[in-house]
Amino acid sequence: MRIEVDEDLCCGAGSCVLAAPTVFDQNDDDGTVLLLDPAPGAELGAAVREAAARCPTAAIRVV
Amino acid sequence: MVHSRAAGNHAARPFPTARPIGCPFDPPAAFTQAREECPITPLRYPDGHIGHLVTGLGAARAVLADPRFSSLPAGKRSPVKVPGSELSTDALPAGMFVNMDPPEHTRYRRLLSKHFTIRRVRELRPRIQEMTDRLLDAMADQGGPADLVKAFAKPLPTLVTSELLGLPEADRAEFGRHVDVLFSLSTSGEEMRRSMATLGGMLHALIAAARKNPGTDILGRLTVETDLSDEELLGITIVLLIAGLETTTNMLALGTYALLRHPGQLAALRADWSLMDDAVEELLRYLSVVQIGPIRVAAEDFDFEGRSVRKGQVVTVSLPAANRDPLGFEDPDTFDIRRGTTRHVAFGNGPHQCMGHHLARLELAIGYESLLRRFPRLELAAAAEGIATREMMVTYGVRELPVRW
Repeated sequence: MRIEVDEDLCCGAGSCVLAAPTVFDQNDDDGTVLLLDPAPGAELGAAVREAAARCPTAAIRVV
Repeated sequence: MVHSRAAGNHAARPFPTARPIGCPFDPPAAFTQAREECPITPLRYPDGHIGHLVTGLGAARAVLADPRFSSLPAGKRSPVKVPGSELSTDALPAGMFVNMDPPEHTRYRRLLSKHFTIRRVRELRPRIQEMTDRLLDAMADQGGPADLVKAFAKPLPTLVTSELLGLPEADRAEFGRHVDVLFSLSTSGEEMRRSMATLGGMLHALIAAARKNPGTDILGRLTVETDLSDEELLGITIVLLIAGLETTTNMLALGTYALLRHPGQLAALRADWSLMDDAVEELLRYLSVVQIGPIRVAAEDFDFEGRSVRKGQVVTVSLPAANRDPLGFEDPDTFDIRRGTTRHVAFGNGPHQCMGHHLARLELAIGYESLLRRFPRLELAAAAEGIATREMMVTYGVRELPVRW
């Protein structure tokens, strides 16, 4: 599983951090997404899909 | 059922506001009828304009995330005549980023988001708990019955927001009064203009003071860390004040009312406080207190979910309706604190989704739990039929909530 994030679309909601805290974090300067782990293991699949679904601007892609 | 999709403009309904009698937590029944026809239906605005009403969850998420639906004030209309809806948007101060589209909106959002990250909000927990406990101490000392709105639901978000923003204690009562005027049912356009002007004057003085002697609060930091003008800071402060006060206050009071009216759910929560986060999500979904809007204006002609949308048409999303969509939630009209869904749109969706959602969730979780733990026998001190609700307001809720313990 690979994750792509679009920092330009990101509005800094931080919902991805709630869903998958080991994969996503928020930048302290502007709240936008920090991708901690662009290729998380399959065991995080459900959490990552939840993060992508909760993102208000659809800035997270799971490929 | 007759499908009205092809029926054209004459099928347009006015925006429904009357809630079903005896069901203060349910959205107006006309929303359900509209959604059963189509998740997006023709809507007649008070001036005769024909736009669209969105009642389905999927369509609501899509509209709010689609840049072809603009947030710019030009051509925007309220679907109901609410106080202030006749005010010209030309007079709005710069920096009111709720009325902007990307990329202008993005610039403000980036400057502000750092103050509302999960990390930042979690740091506020002990302070919010302290403020909560102090209010509950005062309630306990005073003894019941009490109006929960006045004693708790209103002061808690006021204290939290004031401290975050850096409003001096001496000014808070007056700020609160003017914000009340801006939200009151009985306010005339003239009164609203006057309160807006007074509030503007007070905030300008506050901004000047923050520039001279910046504190660690949001306003102080914005004066140091950004190049925002006084006018922009004014708009931002007004947006944060309005967003931080009204919604959380109504969620605290209406949420407590909903729990008291669902004793089985309340007992389950009291028996297992680890259900609190799920209970907060379900209260957000079930109550959806933002009952008028968000409102958007189509920026071009296009087909959307099988409907033709024309440039300039006003689209009103009903969050309460979307959050009761059976395609999104099983048994949507049942209040179930174990539902465990976060896919609701109580905070909206898209780039304008509520920036303070982590803070709101924290205030609600601390607020409900502390209140219920402090008063194990909390109950209504009035007949349920006598509890007046806020039908014709942007934010739904109860006007008063008499309780005893």
